[in-house]
Parts: sequence; structure tokens; C-alpha cells
Amino acid sequence: MDGDADGQVSRRQVIVAGTVLAAGATVAPAAGQRPAAAATHAVPEVVGPGEVEVSLRVNGTIRETAVEPRVTLLDALRDRLRLTGTKKGCDHGECGACTVLIDGRRAKSCLTLAIMQTGAAITTIEGLAGSERLHPMQAAFIERDAFQCGFCTPGQIMSAVGMLAEGRPRSRAEIRDRMSGNLCRCSAYPNIVDAISDVAEGRR
Amino acid sequence: MKAFRYARATSQANAVTLASADPTAVYIAGGTETLNLIRDGLLAPDLLVDVNAVPADGIAWGRDVVRIGALTSMAAVAGDARIRTRLPVLSEALSASASAQVRNMASVGGNLMQRTRCWYYRDAALPCNTRIPGSGCPAIEGENRWHAILGGSEHCIKVHPSDMAVALTALDATILIRDAQGERRVPIGDFYRLPGSTPHVETALPRGGLIVGVEIPSGLTRSRSGYRKVRDRASFEFALVSVAVSLDMDGDAVREARIALGGVAPRPWRAVEAEEAVRGRRLDPDVLEAAAEAAVRGAVPREHNGFKVELVRRTLADVLARIGGKR
Amino acid sequence: MTQSVGRPLNRVDGRDKVTGTARYAADQPVAGLTHAVLVQSTIASGRIKAIDTRAARSAPGVLGVYTHENLPRFAYRPDGYTFPYGQSLVPMQDDTIRYGGQHLAMVVAGTPEQARHAAALVEVDYDVEPPIIGLRANLDRAYAPPTTVPGVIQLERGDPGDGLDRAEVRIEAEYSTSINHHNPIEPSATLAVWEGEDLTLYESTQSMSFTQEVVARMLGMPRERVRVVVPYLGGGFGCKGFVWPHTYLTAAVARVVGRPVKLVLTRAQMYTSCGHRPESVQRVRLGASKDGRLTGLTHHVISHTASHDLVNFTVIASPQAVYACPNLRVSTELVEVNLGTTIATRPPSGPTNEVLEMALDELSLELGVDPIALRLANYTDRDPATGARQTRYLRECYELGAERFGWRRRKPEPGSTRAGEMLVGTGMAGSFHNWHGMTAQASVEIDTNGRAFVRSGTQDIGTGTYTIMTQIAADALGMRPSSVRPRLGDTRLPPAASSSGSATAVTVGTAVREAGRAAREKVIGIAIADPRSPLHGAASAAVETADDRLFLKARPRRGETYRDVLARHGSPVEAQGNADLANQAGGSYGAVFAEVHVSTVTGEVRVTRLVGAVDVGRVLNPKTARSQAIGGMIWGIGMALTEHTLVDRRLGRIVTANLAGYLIPVEADVPDIDVIFVDKPAPDASALGARGMGEVTGTGTVAAIANAVHHATGRRVRQLPITPDLLLGPRE
Repeated sequence: MDGDADGQVSRRQVIVAGTVLAAGATVAPAAGQRPAAAATHAVPEVVGPGEVEVSLRVNGTIRETAVEPRVTLLDALRDRLRLTGTKKGCDHGECGACTVLIDGRRAKSCLTLAIMQTGAAITTIEGLAGSERLHPMQAAFIERDAFQCGFCTPGQIMSAVGMLAEGRPRSRAEIRDRMSGNLCRCSAYPNIVDAISDVAEGRR
Repeated sequence: MKAFRYARATSQANAVTLASADPTAVYIAGGTETLNLIRDGLLAPDLLVDVNAVPADGIAWGRDVVRIGALTSMAAVAGDARIRTRLPVLSEALSASASAQVRNMASVGGNLMQRTRCWYYRDAALPCNTRIPGSGCPAIEGENRWHAILGGSEHCIKVHPSDMAVALTALDATILIRDAQGERRVPIGDFYRLPGSTPHVETALPRGGLIVGVEIPSGLTRSRSGYRKVRDRASFEFALVSVAVSLDMDGDAVREARIALGGVAPRPWRAVEAEEAVRGRRLDPDVLEAAAEAAVRGAVPREHNGFKVELVRRTLADVLARIGGKR
Repeated sequence: MTQSVGRPLNRVDGRDKVTGTARYAADQPVAGLTHAVLVQSTIASGRIKAIDTRAARSAPGVLGVYTHENLPRFAYRPDGYTFPYGQSLVPMQDDTIRYGGQHLAMVVAGTPEQARHAAALVEVDYDVEPPIIGLRANLDRAYAPPTTVPGVIQLERGDPGDGLDRAEVRIEAEYSTSINHHNPIEPSATLAVWEGEDLTLYESTQSMSFTQEVVARMLGMPRERVRVVVPYLGGGFGCKGFVWPHTYLTAAVARVVGRPVKLVLTRAQMYTSCGHRPESVQRVRLGASKDGRLTGLTHHVISHTASHDLVNFTVIASPQAVYACPNLRVSTELVEVNLGTTIATRPPSGPTNEVLEMALDELSLELGVDPIALRLANYTDRDPATGARQTRYLRECYELGAERFGWRRRKPEPGSTRAGEMLVGTGMAGSFHNWHGMTAQASVEIDTNGRAFVRSGTQDIGTGTYTIMTQIAADALGMRPSSVRPRLGDTRLPPAASSSGSATAVTVGTAVREAGRAAREKVIGIAIADPRSPLHGAASAAVETADDRLFLKARPRRGETYRDVLARHGSPVEAQGNADLANQAGGSYGAVFAEVHVSTVTGEVRVTRLVGAVDVGRVLNPKTARSQAIGGMIWGIGMALTEHTLVDRRLGRIVTANLAGYLIPVEADVPDIDVIFVDKPAPDASALGARGMGEVTGTGTVAAIANAVHHATGRRVRQLPITPDLLLGPRE
């Protein structure tokens, strides 16, 4: 932590990965790179348990919101930022409906805290494509009817996009294994594999 | 979820200082386990110490040891090209764990600190000696299909859930711990405690201690190794039974064997007698049979988990034959 | 003209679903929202000695804590199990506890985190009584209930005792099936907003009309003052088919709190708050002559039911409906246990169909005849009860499925095929499900831009109702689907029945067609009466419509567009449609073929191929229909191999109340699946020629897999799911 929060005595505190946020507002950090504050032996500041102002970089935009440290990224997205495309199916990381990209990597947003993701680049289903056009994966899901009720679909699509970024699958069996973190109770599974194969093989 | 304070540590030293000052403090790295424990009322920290900014990341190949930083993600270890070719048991165990998203998020250190998936432990409404010492163990007479056949006690028959820890047990890994006194090294075999009459004491980690890394003797990279995980579902499930094997071969004969079992005991289970049964021998059917038998000697099956005895026998024989067979 | 019905139109709501803009119940943006969390009983039987809410009430952000001590009494209490009440037990009205997970308190707070934390602070002191849990352990309590109990069948045809005695070959076996949970990925959610005396509920329900009826009755208010809205539903599979207490509790609490309240059940609460499929023990006896003709069949079904709600949801349909067997007895027994109420689970008649189809496989081996030949030996296209002829293309299902699967190459001896570590087996089974028509109204409005708005107060649970409404309206009007906008999911729309019983497409579709045809007639009437129209003076019967145009049949170039007519007309045209198919019922049929690999090392079973051939009448949209079919078949994989809810028999607590312990299939469990539709109209079922398809495709797969496991291993597992431990016999 740096000195930005010094002097804040109100119930709301401020947490920022200060330098990273200021410099990185328009540039996503490389995948996996963390907004590491300068290593120091000084004991970092403790914030909370009340609300803390945090800056989240969601879909390319800095969003300021006040959350208690206990608020998950999922709940911050849904309840604070009104980005309800990301779904809560189990709140335990067992269904995958809350999958988003964090610094380009797929992650379950119910298993991390909003306050832990200050400075990270978060992409949700709402930010996957522009407002008019569809991402090829979205188009492929429609064309292959890779969903029924649609509830798990944002998570499936974000997971599929994240999976392809991790490396091109060599077979349908590999897609199946690598997509097994996303449950679909309507059971559109074979169609999901079709949609992903279409995108992976450049058919879309 | 109870409200808590939060701090982002920036060094091993200040992480340990923060956590040592508050007896309820809990470290958080990937979050994939800790948040569920807090959410379900199994942990109630006043302070959460985020260690993601602590430098403890990456895989370093030294002359004597391979050192894996505790904050390295499961995915990074599983996908590392050298790990895949030289320590396949580790890569295979990690790849068979959890889901891709969780493997992206979860750290090696957090994986080692996973708590049991015993459903009585996981349900805060129920008695459990691990959670509330002396409250009782409903699993012993209850729904214990998933529970331990080895290493349990009349107080606890939980199963340790980590696949990676089973592989590391078969790789003679050492766990590196940082606490207020400095850094110390604990062999993985000494890290996990059997429940005995104190099931709530689960590891050798001191209060405020932080796992900062894992070391594997680099000599083992010349061994043959492999992992097999048995489960109801084809993916995204904890093991019914798993087997990790690392063999040094001398022609057709086994020079040295390290065998660990998962899904059967409160800790990754080193099958020492099975190792002895194959040491210096060729892996002929009678030797495989003897090893399989030795692995489950002393097993205490319960009402619903007796099948694990046979499942361990068969899976171990299969993995030994596969790993040690002619190439 | 191009028909839209029958074509694989992409889902019209697809864009909303892939962009995250589809709003489900818990997604609705409502100002001033507060958040509720339910506190549930941790014991299964007894009473509340004391409930201490002081800590919860004084926790930060808490607006209220409601229990049986301070929640106003409801205006109504169902007298025993009554449709469409999910359960008759009204919680939080007194101190008795009948099952684990019974709602005891509702906490409301400003944020979800505050509400969850405060709920954990509610302390309940119980008087505990030992619960009755487990079917097998309590078979001595089984009794035969009267047929007035819903779902109970006690039926005898011919002389089953004599039929079995006369048989040349007999088999007798006992099977058991497990508790299953629906587990839609969307947990049940209620968002209650009061404005004066008017209540709006954003609700994850398969039936807005049931919700409206029940909530109004429970709160003692006129039905018209309850509006239910469900534009999108994240799956239901039966657990959102009826109205459960959490819905009216939330409405009642919101009235007391004076602010909008949102309740979303936790995943764990989904295991006790909205029903489950009961466990069953089934005893089957089959007798046949050497040529395979059934001479006698008895099928006895013992299921558990909640001690507070007598009903049988191990629905028995196939044994008495599919095969020609003159002598038959079907009978039901119940065991009352301390669990929540049982409910229909996709497909409700699955467990009995699967058991019958597993028993037929045993009989075919005993007889030494091919499983398909056995079924053909007992083939009928008449209703075995009434003798009435039905449109039934089951024979085609056997033929098409067998051909696609390559059934003829099968070696009948069990254990005869091996691939490395794996034993390979194949099996087949029949599919059957009853569907029941319902009632629905619809309207079609054509605006002055020539766009059609088709409306019905139905729900789209993911089966594609938006899409087939669009297609059917387009065809009825002679429009392109892109000119049709569907609306559903609001009780302000023309009322329609629930989305269940495989009835929605047929029922709502019929109403939509009526409305569309009536709207078309009106527009034709306007055109031919208008001197400015090229169709002026034509007989209405001489006018055809297609591709958004009205034209003379005899001279297709002479005509104009809907838009032309309506623009001149200057005001929209609207017409209503009505479908009453409440007396329509019947069966849909099929055959499923499965290939499995069974590990000789671990007993793990993986399904490697699945082919389903189904007769559901005319297929309205082959793309969405196929999705529904593969979905049903994958449910079969789950029921066959991985899904079972475990209940601790002493604590009465479900221990697998999560998606890590209750294993629904994941992507890696599912092979590519071939679905074949016979696709011939069934005019005796509906004017659309379509029959129910939602549930029939969920039957047959379980037995096909179980039969394939036997074929692979020679081991007959008569217990579901077939987990690896059941296949670890003596080592080879």
C-alpha cells in the first residue's frame, strides 16, 4: 500500500494499487502479472471491516465502488456494478456460471474478493464484444444452439474464450476435459463442443 | 460471511508479521478454498492477509532440487514443459484436479492447505471433531462412502483432498515454511498429522506460518512416475482413490519406489510396505499382487467405503505395471 | 411459401443470452432493494424450544428477522398435498419441525453480505426427535395408499397371477433408484415489490399463473393484484413447477419490511426447499412364452414420501402403456419419511420406465432373443387399456436407431468385447412418456409498421418457447420470423398454464396459431374492403399470405405487404387465440442405444456413444428439439452413473447438498450424441401434429446404459446410479 489512504479517517477507506491504476488505466497488464506494490518490510495497512473504496477495471473502464473486504468479485459485479450477466449458480466454485476473465485468464468470480482484484483487468460477458457486434464465440454459441435456458451461458462463453487463449485444443476430447469446470444442467454439452470447435478451427 | 479486515502483504516478512499479530488471521492466495471455508462458517478470521503480492512465484531448477514457489498457480505447474516431461506424476495430478478456472487461481501453497471434503466437516450445522474438538464424528456411523480406510481414528476418518500433495508425497517433497522465527523445512511426510485423538491439529504449520515453497529432489527427475485418479465423474471431482508412483528402475527391476495413495486417508498416504514389496524386484504379477496387498494392510473399512480396499489394490497394481513396465 | 415451422431457426432469444442482457429473476434492477436469507432447520424432526434472534437483529444493516413468533399468519393453509402448492406445510407458523431444511426464519438486511452474516447469528434450540430416514431401512413401514393419493396407481388387467404361471420363461428382480435433485443452475429466486396493495413478483417459476394463484391465496388478496414476471428462467426441470413456501414468505416479509426484498436460495437450500425425486424400490416380474410374447407382468413400486405430504412421484406410466401384455398388475406403496416434499423430476416416469426396460433386457437374455426382437414381439399401436388405435411410430424408432447405431453388428454374449483395459458393451432400451395438454391464450397484434407482436403469458424454461411462438405465428400470418416479436413471461399477458408435462409447445403453439390466423383474417378483411388496396374486392378465401405479403392465390404478383395495409389502416390490428387441450393426453415414444466402456481396473463407466430415435409427432424446430433431446439423454447419463443424494439416516441431513458432492454430468462425461426424429405428424395429438417431447427424451437412456454395462461386464447392477464400487467384483 502507499500513502494514498493516509489521512482517511472516515468509515470508508481507500485501497488502490496506486501507481498501477494511474498508469494502467488504459493498458491491461500482461497475463498473470500482479499489481505488486513495491516490496517493503514496512507492515502494510489494514483496511476494513467497513466499506473500502476500490477501483475495479471492468471491461476497460475504471469503476469506483465501496465494498467491504468480504464482498466477492461476483457480488461486486452483480450487486454494485449492476453487471448481472455474470451469474451465481452455487457461490462455491462448483458450477462455473460466474466465470470471468481476470487479466485474460478465466477465473471463478465467486472465489475471489473484489478488493483482491484492484488493478486487475476484468472482462465480463458484457465486455466481451462491442455493443453491436458479437464475439465469434457468442455467434458460434447461437449458431450451434449451445444453450437452452441460457443461465450458465455467460460463464461457458467466458470459459471457452479463456480456454482458447490458454492454447488451442487438439481434439474434442481435450475440449471436453478443459471445459468440465462449467456445468450445464440443460446439458447442451455436445453443442458447446461444436461451438468451440468452430471458433478454434476458424470456422467462425 | 463474517466481516473481516484485509491487508495486502508485500513481503514474506510483513505477511508473517501481520498474521502473527492476530490469532484469527488467515492467509489468502487464490481464494478458491479459503473463501468457501469463511462463507460456510468453518473459518471466522478477523483479518485476511492477501499474499498475492508476496514474491514467491515460479519454478526454479537447481542442481539438487526443483523449487516451486508457493504462489505459483496450479495451472502454471501443471503446464510447465519440464515438469510435464521430468515429473509427470506432478503434472498429471494437478491436471486431474478441480477445474481449469480453479487451477488458474489456486496456488501451490493453498492447495497443500486444503481442508478435507468430508461433508460433515463442511456443514457447520453438524458435529465434527476436526471443527469442534469433542463434538463427535458422525461419519464413522454415517454416510462414509468417501471416507478413510487408512490412518483414521475413532475420532475422525476424513480424507485429505489434494491430488498434488499425493504426487509430492511420492516425490519426497519438502515444504518450506516461513514464520516469525525464520524459514524452516518440513518433509511432506511430517507435515500432515494423522487425527488420532486431536483431529483438529492437521498440519505442522505453526500459527502465523506461511508456506513459501516446495522442493523436490532433482534426482527424481530421472525416475519414471505417474498418477491415476479414480472417480465417479470423468472430470471435476475429488478422488475416490488415487495412486502416485515414482520408480527408479534398474533394467527390469525396481531399484527404489515411492508410492503414495490419495482418497484413502486423512493425509496423503505413503505406502511404505508396498514400496518394500517391490524394491529390488521385477514387477511380475506376484510382486504386483504383494504390493497391492501390502498397500491396504491394516485398512479399516466402514459401512460404505469397503470398496476402496479393492480399488486401491487394483489401481496400484495397474499404475505400477504401467510405470514400471518395459518401454 | 416458406414454412418456418419445421426449420432449424436459431433461438430468437439467443443474442440476449450470449451477451448477458437476458435478465433472470435475481438480475432485475429494482430501486431500494433489500436482501433476504432463510434460516433452516438443522434437525429433521422435533420442535423449536427457543429461537434467539437478538444477535441477528442487532447485526449491522439488519431490517428485520421473522420467525413463527412474529410473522403474520397466512390467510390459507392447504389441507394436505394439493396442486399447485409445492408442499402443504406452511412454515414459520408454529414450532413443529417435520424435515431438515424446513424454513424457520427469514433475515432481511441492506446488503446480501449483511443478511447472510445475520442469518448465521440466529440461534435455535430444539427438542429433537429421531427422524425416519431411508427407504430400504424402513421398508417395514410401507403401505399401499388409496388411489386418491396423487400419483398412486393400483391397477390390474387380466389375470397377472395366471399369466405368470403360464409363462414358459420368467424373470423376477428387485431394483432400486436413488434420490435425485433437479439442480437447475439458476437457484430459485423471488424478488417482491409492493406498491400500495399491489404486488409484483420477479420469480424463477415454471408457472406464473400458479404463482399468482398461490401467493394471492396465501396472502388473502385478489389475484389481480399479484403480477408475476419471468422473462427468463434458468432451468427448472420440475422443481420450479409448483409454488414453494419461500415465494410467499418473501412476499409476506416484503410487505412487513416495506421495501422490495430479494431472496435467492443458496445451492444447499435448493436441496430442501423445492422438492426432490424420491428413492424407489421396484419389484418386477415378467413372464413370457418362448417366442417372447409377454404373458404376465407385475411392477410394484415402493417410494418414500414426506410424512407431511402424501404423494407418489415415482410416476408409473410405461408398464401399463407401452407393451401388449394382457395380464398385468401395477401397484404402489409408500413409506413416510422426514424429508421435504417430493416432486416431479425430469422425467417423472423415468425411474419406472428404466426399471421395466432393464427387466426386459434380463428377459431377452433369458429367452435368448435380441432385445429389439423381444420388444417387437410385444409391439402394439393401440392403447393397451382401451384398445384405441394411436399414432405411434415406435417401430420406426427401433429401426432408425438400430441402423444408425450399427446394432446388427452386436455380439450378444456379455463380456465379449474388450479394448485394452476396457470392456465394451452396448445396450438399448425404450423411451416413453405421457404428455398432457393444458390451456393457453395468446394474442397477435400487428402494428402500423407491419410487425407482429405475439404474446402469451407462458414461460420459456429454455426449451425454446420464444422461438416456436415466433415460428408458429410467422406461419399463421404468412410472415417472415424476423417480422415477429414474441413476448412472454408476464401475467399481464394472455394467461397460459405452466411449463411442464411436455405440454408447452403444443398448447401455447395452438393458441398462437389461432391468434395468428385470426389476425391474418382481420388484415385480409381490411385489405379487401379498402379501395386503395390491390386486393380490393377479392374474396378473402382468394387471398394468400407469405413473406410479409398478402396476395391473390391466382395472381401472386398482385398484392401488398402487411405494412402497406396497416399503414393505411392507421391503427394496429389485434386478435386472440385460445387453446384448450386439457383433455388431450397421450404418449411419446422412442428407443435409445448406448455404448459404454467399463474399466477392468477401476470399474469406472464412461458412455462412448449414444443414439436416440424418438417419435414426438411433428418437430416444430429441429435445432431446439435436438437440444432438448440431447439434454434429456444427458440427464440419463447422470441418473445412470453419478447422481444420488445421500441423507444421513441418524441426523436426517442431506450431506451432498452441493455440486461437488451431488454429481451432475460435466462436459467430459458426455460423448457426441445422435438424435433421430421420426418427424411424422400426430394429428390425433394436436392440430399442430406435435406431441410432448420435453420428457420422453429423458427416458430410456438410463436403461440403455445399464443394459450396456451388463453387456460389457456380464454383471447386472440393479441399483442406480451404477458407481464404480458396484462393478468391483472378484479380480480377473
